[in-house]
Amino acid sequence: MTDSKYFTTTKKGEIFELKAELNSDKKEKKKEAVKKVIASMTVGKDVSALFPDVVNCMQTDNLELKKLVYLYLMNYAKSQPDMAIMAVNTFVKDCEDPNPLIRALAVRTMGCIRVDKITEYLCEPLRKCLKDEDPYVRKTAAVCVAKLHDINAQLVEDQGFLDTLKDLISDSNPMVVANAVAALSEIAESHPSSNLLDLNPQSINKLLTALNECTEWGQIFILDCLANYTPKDDREAQSICERVTPRLSHANSAVVLSAVKVLMKFMEMLSKDLDYYGTLLKKLAPPLVTLLSAEPELQYVALRNINLIVQKRPEILKHEMKVFFVKYNDPIYVKLEKLDIMIRLASQANIAQVLAELKEYATEVDVDFVRKAVRAIGRCAIKVEQSAERCVSTLLDLIQTKVNYVVQEAIVVIKDIFRKYPNKYESVIATLCENLDSLDEPEARAAMIWIVGEYAERIDNADELLESFLEGFHDESTQVQLQLLTAIVKLFLKKPTETQELVQQVLSLATQDSDNPDLRDRGYIYWRLLSTDPVAAKEVVLAEKPLISEETDLIEPTLLDELICYIGTLASVYHKPPSAFVEGGRGVVHKSLPPRTASNESTESPETAPAGPPSGEQPDVIPAQGDLLGDLLNLDLGPPVSGPPLATSSVQMGAVDLLGGGLDSLIGGPNFVTPPAAAVPANLGAPMGSGLSDLFDLTSGVGTLSGSYVAPKAVWLPAMKAKGLEISGTFTRQVGSISMDLQLTNKALQVMTDFAIQFNRNSFGLAPAAPLQVHAPLSPNQTVEISLPLNTVGSVMKMEPLNNLQVAVKNNIDVFYFSTLYPLHILFVEDGKMERQMFLATWKDIPNENEAQFQIRDCPLNAEAASSRLQSSNIFTVAKRNVEGQDMLYQSLKLTNGIWVLAELRIQPGNPNFMDLELSLKCRAPEVSPHVCQAYETILKN
Amino acid sequence: MISQFFILSSKGDPLIYKDFRGDSRGRDVAELFYRKLTGLPGEESPVVMHHNDRHFIHIRHSGLYLVATTSENISPFSLLELLSRLATLIGDYCGSLGEGTISRNVALVYELLDEVLDYGYIQTTSTEMLRNFIQTEAVVSKPFSLFDLSSVGLFGAETQQSKVAPSSAASRPVLSSRSDQSQKNEVFLDVVERLSVLIASNGSLLKVDVQGEIRLKSFLPSGSEMRIGLTEEFCVGKSELRGYGPGIRVDEVSFHSSVYLDEFESHRILRLQPPQGELTVMRYQLSDDLPSPLPFRLFPSVQWDRSTGRLHVYLKLRCDLPPKSQALNIRLHLPLPRGVVSLSQELSSPEQKAELGDGALRWDLPRVQGGSQLSGLFQMEVPGLPGPPGQGHSTSAPPLGLGPASLSFELPRHTCSGLQVRFLRLAFTPCGSANPHKWVRHLSHSDAYVIRI
Repeated sequence: MTDSKYFTTTKKGEIFELKAELNSDKKEKKKEAVKKVIASMTVGKDVSALFPDVVNCMQTDNLELKKLVYLYLMNYAKSQPDMAIMAVNTFVKDCEDPNPLIRALAVRTMGCIRVDKITEYLCEPLRKCLKDEDPYVRKTAAVCVAKLHDINAQLVEDQGFLDTLKDLISDSNPMVVANAVAALSEIAESHPSSNLLDLNPQSINKLLTALNECTEWGQIFILDCLANYTPKDDREAQSICERVTPRLSHANSAVVLSAVKVLMKFMEMLSKDLDYYGTLLKKLAPPLVTLLSAEPELQYVALRNINLIVQKRPEILKHEMKVFFVKYNDPIYVKLEKLDIMIRLASQANIAQVLAELKEYATEVDVDFVRKAVRAIGRCAIKVEQSAERCVSTLLDLIQTKVNYVVQEAIVVIKDIFRKYPNKYESVIATLCENLDSLDEPEARAAMIWIVGEYAERIDNADELLESFLEGFHDESTQVQLQLLTAIVKLFLKKPTETQELVQQVLSLATQDSDNPDLRDRGYIYWRLLSTDPVAAKEVVLAEKPLISEETDLIEPTLLDELICYIGTLASVYHKPPSAFVEGGRGVVHKSLPPRTASNESTESPETAPAGPPSGEQPDVIPAQGDLLGDLLNLDLGPPVSGPPLATSSVQMGAVDLLGGGLDSLIGGPNFVTPPAAAVPANLGAPMGSGLSDLFDLTSGVGTLSGSYVAPKAVWLPAMKAKGLEISGTFTRQVGSISMDLQLTNKALQVMTDFAIQFNRNSFGLAPAAPLQVHAPLSPNQTVEISLPLNTVGSVMKMEPLNNLQVAVKNNIDVFYFSTLYPLHILFVEDGKMERQMFLATWKDIPNENEAQFQIRDCPLNAEAASSRLQSSNIFTVAKRNVEGQDMLYQSLKLTNGIWVLAELRIQPGNPNFMDLELSLKCRAPEVSPHVCQAYETILKN
Repeated sequence: MISQFFILSSKGDPLIYKDFRGDSRGRDVAELFYRKLTGLPGEESPVVMHHNDRHFIHIRHSGLYLVATTSENISPFSLLELLSRLATLIGDYCGSLGEGTISRNVALVYELLDEVLDYGYIQTTSTEMLRNFIQTEAVVSKPFSLFDLSSVGLFGAETQQSKVAPSSAASRPVLSSRSDQSQKNEVFLDVVERLSVLIASNGSLLKVDVQGEIRLKSFLPSGSEMRIGLTEEFCVGKSELRGYGPGIRVDEVSFHSSVYLDEFESHRILRLQPPQGELTVMRYQLSDDLPSPLPFRLFPSVQWDRSTGRLHVYLKLRCDLPPKSQALNIRLHLPLPRGVVSLSQELSSPEQKAELGDGALRWDLPRVQGGSQLSGLFQMEVPGLPGPPGQGHSTSAPPLGLGPASLSFELPRHTCSGLQVRFLRLAFTPCGSANPHKWVRHLSHSDAYVIRI
């Protein structure tokens, strides 16, 4: 007999028939009836009316029937909570059953019935099952705690189930350990602050032991849990790595990837000089390569992860280029990922091979793939200088094919090659110009126009070419319009005599007939520039352009580090942090790589801070200029900005572009604070017209707010300890000078005179710049306020904590000693603003292990407010960008002793649930970072 | 953690729907998935899709969609692995994975799911563990006959060779607690290799790799020990040396967790106590150094007359297998420039066939003996094809869109790596009358065998 007839019974009275069968005396008949009910349930029929009849079947000793009934209950208990309670007694009874299968079944099902009322009945049986003698019951009960926690978290805590769960981590059965770890991890995620999974070397050891014994799925839970642990030093990290490494050869790819995650994370802590570090690198490559022989679905997920790993540690796979060659029968999504990784791995050693491959790909049929292959050739040229010539000739070959989309892509990348290697390949311009008519995509048109404008002096008919574009000016997309405007101005500056008419025409088109504020403003700026001072205009528009960076499309370093912590999860497939796609508070705790702790480095003083490994050794993943400040090449060439949110920002953007147009905006980010002084001739400001100079005033005016934040006075020396002298005070910094504002109160009965003050040697050499002057004797109950100027030329000694200051105050009675902590921001000097280029170079230069990350909680400020508040305390915003809805502020500050601190502040505006700011600090003397962070917090919260 | 698991038919009807977390908030998640899937352009759907906070991960198996959803940041690898394990498990328990078998065995599948997943945590996928818990009996549609050879498609590779072994055995539930033991004394062992090759237009070999696996399907009672002897010269890694000859070398090997390797080092014997059902005993791969010559070489020559738009393609295919071996079901696929209209052909033997379809030339050869050579001359009309300028009218430069050629084929009784199973011994003494039947096969087939033109 087959069950297929269950699906065909749609005739009237079906429910009635089932009811009768359910109440039949024969077990077989009952069983068949329940099966039918379940089949109907699956196809979406409402069989909830049968609830009482099915529940009646529950009291049976037939395990198969019981399981069927439980299955039904799980599905319908929610819609019939009152009925479900009827079944509770049976559940409780089943929890006592001699058969462990039934005990486990009962406790599992009770947990799945998501009815609040059931929880009170569940606690006792659950408690018993957690201590059951059978591991199958215990492991089921462990999961049940997680279920119950989801229904009623408070109850779970009150009943002490969490502690029992923690005990289960030491259980003798690895399945139980695995489930306990999984349950605890999930519960811990919803309470980030609670210290539920208290990982210490002992518990880690237990987990590592269980790792060898449990099922593959349990191994995944345990490895994921291990990845959250931060070993205390490099030795512990190494020993964990050694015990995790065997998992790399597991047949289950999920186990492999979880192991890779643990290793990638802990590797961060290992010194690169260790032999073991090299061994580990070698061991990571084969499992990653093996993943590429799996099904295409797994391959795709693996490739997304490899993409991250290659960016973080390119050395792992540098010899494995061949496995990323595209197979003819790969699905397109695998092909595109492989291509991306190929470019990342391209180097001088393998470039010939890569180029030959790319050329083949460029002749395939799939349009998207071909486009990407052509782009890849350009990226190779930019990345590997030695190959540039071959790349260019390959691109020219491709242009000869006259296939429309190939030609367009080739032109877009050739433009980048021109930028990278100026005055080298311009001979190909003639060939490019032949294809002018076939370009119909905005990006290609814009690139071609840029080329014509940039090399106008070498193209005889440049004016004709540009004029031909001008005819349909209003139909072009914004990026083409902007590019055309700049190109014609360039042309005019190069050949003023014959192109005056043309430039007039484009300026009037841009300023009078356009609704686009970017275009209009850029038009006005050029117009004014040209009319007031053509020499200055020439200097600005035709200024030398900085070279473009080698690596493009890199993930930002902080995001990359975070994603490395999420290897093998969805985040690594989307290349987004989990907070971007996981709803609610679960799992959004930001993870970061552990800092590298070589055991001898921590005691060094700021003056002798380690210089870090030579920069050549560092993985070259920190993006050069462009990327940190936003994808500048795309600033203009990207999709048109429709209605920028702030008028000022859009004009700023225009102003930047003025410095040479379109691509030249590399000089500044989209939201720079002051225009780079070198590029703007000094005589430009005044005649520029009120609107513009206002703008510049606005941007440079923020810095003049006076004085940094001053904390209220605190009692430093209570009267009790100083024979009646009470001293309270605070530190201030105003216009470059630091002072200590003191308030002395005489609470004794005698007059005090002869005051003097001395500082002990301290970390930053703070010393009084003048003697403590109390002009009149201090009579009882009198208070005097004094401002004591300080300088930073005193002798230096490292204090613990760093900002500790020991002070001695003398009067006619005695000498009193006290110590106080000064806020670090009084040491932030006024010229602490770093040049953007400098900032990038420095950020790159400071080794990653010097980076410290902090969270500033509950700080509901937006980027502007935070920036201006910080600026008044001499923390300067160098650049700002917006990444996926988060504002990133890049800031610099300098301490009185010349130490620079670079900061990246991440703000999530408009998210009322998430008011925490994230701060990453990079400094050659990492000891100051926590104090700088404290300073940030004080400034931002007051 | 998995929120929901469901199986949809190819038409999008839910066959199985299980909600582990109750967080669907009344939405029909399966419907949502299907709409998302069908709303996409193209045939290749992304592996990971998401709709708001819900993430779908799916595989397609026997025309069915197996889908897992989650709202958390969990490992897509474990989900993909799980889905394919579930496909195997359901196949093992119900006989085969298909719309019919599932709808006949709804209760059984739910029971399985309950044991495999609890609250979305994966518990176990080992058949060994599961058989302790599963109560429901599979419902099968028809009785089996060992000699029913009509339905083709042996487990493992789909090949004509499958007729060698009784094929219906494959669609029989492996795990059934109540059927009698005597019928199921059978073990199938397959050594299957996938060969991918890339040959440049100048004939030089750019890349070659072989991915192999040893697959076992056992109907013996669980826990019965067996020993698989592999070629003794089998070496792992670049440095190891065994025997006097060049050895059978592979780069990487991984084993199933039930394999004991105590005799592997000394005698290349895998000892295992396999659970009932299907499992991959060993996986290996090897790249670049192939011990034997490539099975096929293609020598193309292209003549193209631009003035008349006539394209001559002359293909010579040489099979370098040993003379006693043969290749089956060879198909050569050659993409052609757009707009090719007619084809005339001269083939070297009558059993071959060639035709145009989907912008490509398809040349089918049912079988090719080792050491033989075949050729085909194809003439096509290509009107209005742009070509490399500045060259003569008649040129041998290939026009755009021609190639690369890809070959697909099967090589029965042949492994490219040279790996062989020396013996398969069962320690199990059958309680019934018959000795267990052992079926050992070797097979290579092409994965991507591409020759650029």
